[in-house]
Amino acid sequence: MVIVQQQDFDSAALVAQIRERTAGTAGALVTFTGYVRDYAPDQPTQTLYLEHYPGMCEREITEICDTALSRWDVAEVLAVHRYGELHLKDQIVFVAVASAHRGQAFLACEYIIDALKTRAPFWKRETLAGGERFWVQQREADAEKTEQWKQP
Amino acid sequence: MSGTAINVLYFAQVAELTQVRQESWPLEGPISGADWLTQLEQRYPQLAPAKRLKLAVNQFHARPDSVIQPGDEVAVFEPVTGG
Repeated sequence: MVIVQQQDFDSAALVAQIRERTAGTAGALVTFTGYVRDYAPDQPTQTLYLEHYPGMCEREITEICDTALSRWDVAEVLAVHRYGELHLKDQIVFVAVASAHRGQAFLACEYIIDALKTRAPFWKRETLAGGERFWVQQREADAEKTEQWKQP
Repeated sequence: MSGTAINVLYFAQVAELTQVRQESWPLEGPISGADWLTQLEQRYPQLAPAKRLKLAVNQFHARPDSVIQPGDEVAVFEPVTGG
């Protein structure tokens, strides 16, 4: 399941729902939560604005989740991503993977968040405490990490 | 969309530089993403600071050799930074 929304989400409730739906088929659940940090090294972040491309975001994340479902032995995957104005410690993204075995769930969860960071069309704009605004640049390390998941 | 134009969407810093978020762009026949980007940079020289422009065609990430057809939705943006 893929959810792209402005409002916050209740990860505990989402996890409970997955356990309900996968009762009997899974017994391991790995989650990842990304939340707003301080991006600039020298000045504190005031707000973070997330712009997105409606439609393509959902399509791209669904494709990433489908790849994870076919590549690893997992029962269910869920990805939630927010957009709009966020503040320090606000939740941005949540990925949950349920599987019969933890190893498969860890791999699928890491793949999904890695792929999402370099493929899902979101852009972060940071506003510093002094009022200065700038668009966050993609890190080389993120692109390289996604590259590593490519199958030979 | 008519068959003689593409619908262009600009996102994030690119939209700030062009000061346009969406526009219809006349296009009579197929063109490669790389060639269309050259036209875009001629029309908006202010895009020069945005060094790594990316395209999506009909909501799929495109490559320089991807073909843009009249009627397509073409999005222009810098590398994504979600997650």
